[in-house]
Amino acid sequence: MGSQLALKSRIASTESLEKIFNAQEMIAASHIAQAREVALNARPYTDAIFDAVQTLVSHSSHISHPIVRKDGDNPRVAVLALTADRGMAGAYTSSIIRETEDLLARLEADGKEPQLFVYGRRGVSYYRYRNHPLVQTWEGDTEKPGVEVADAISSALLDSYMKPEDKGGVSELYIVYTEFINMVVQKVRVLRMLPVEIVEEDKSAHNQPDTTKVPEARALYSFEPSLDEVLDMVLPKYVRSRIHECLLEAAASEVACRQNAMHSATENARDLINDLTRKLNASRQASITQELTEIIGSADALNNKEE
Amino acid sequence: MAGDTMSVNIVSADRPVWSGTAKMVLVPAYAGGMGILPGHEPVLSVIEEGPLVVTEPNGTKHSFEVTSGFISFDSNKLTVVVEKGRPTANEPIDESGLQPLKYAE
Repeated sequence: MGSQLALKSRIASTESLEKIFNAQEMIAASHIAQAREVALNARPYTDAIFDAVQTLVSHSSHISHPIVRKDGDNPRVAVLALTADRGMAGAYTSSIIRETEDLLARLEADGKEPQLFVYGRRGVSYYRYRNHPLVQTWEGDTEKPGVEVADAISSALLDSYMKPEDKGGVSELYIVYTEFINMVVQKVRVLRMLPVEIVEEDKSAHNQPDTTKVPEARALYSFEPSLDEVLDMVLPKYVRSRIHECLLEAAASEVACRQNAMHSATENARDLINDLTRKLNASRQASITQELTEIIGSADALNNKEE
Repeated sequence: MAGDTMSVNIVSADRPVWSGTAKMVLVPAYAGGMGILPGHEPVLSVIEEGPLVVTEPNGTKHSFEVTSGFISFDSNKLTVVVEKGRPTANEPIDESGLQPLKYAE
């Protein structure tokens, strides 16, 4: 009988867990729509900046801005890892951490001194617990990073990059984030963000409708106040928008990971409940059978006595 | 060569602010206000924080508060890229004060 009570209480607790997982799954599903909207809204800005950078690149034969090229062999490099604030997202944070560790090991093997920046509470607590030195951390809103947090992160990283070597500046910036491929597939990627590699786009790739006009128009472009000043202004913005894009993609991946994880957790809970219910039924049936045999056995014994 | 209108696209970091056609746009360029008419030469200019006024072909004016950023004009298409931009409180500015009365009749 004891085991039946235990089974009943296990079923009850699994049922309440199942409800929680199910709710989490639905919350994640609703967040995905939001994440998609945020990403779509930020798109025109990123595209406009990208177009401007393309124009600038096609007009200057040699860009010597530090964002594009940095001289000297400063061994310090910055690594930004984008993790989640909350758990319950399957392997999301752990795969980021694994990739980050790999990257750190690789950089150290190359004789570089990686400096770690982390976004997301899970990643921060992982490295704090292991006493890994962290240069700067940010927490909160990993599911829907706003412009403010993107700004804070990109400003800190750009500052660190633009600082001269003897003041603790870094020479490169890597970002470890999760690329959102689709709802089911998300892939961890390492991106070298700085220095920016600008590849001049093939002219034919400009898919503008009036192709006859464009080359002429490009030649006549004027820059105010001057090409260099426009570059100074646009390049940091370009880096910022790229970092923001990474944050948004990571957020979408996090939500998708969470939905998948919660979906399988709900299914597991259901399987477990089915299993436990079967066991409960079997044990109840066993106890009924036992009672019956006892009654029949004793009745038989009484009958035998009377004869 | 160019028509009487141009297409205008104002985007901020987190969302598109406004897009449509206009016959004139006044932007807060680095050295004071700069008016852009359709068919302007291709330009990429830094802009400062300030008011930006778009005049639609029918005369309706829209004004926006923008932070620093830049504008790019090419093939009769103006793109305004700013960190933050929002319509000023009393937008849209209606040129003819009589218009609301017309609706009241």
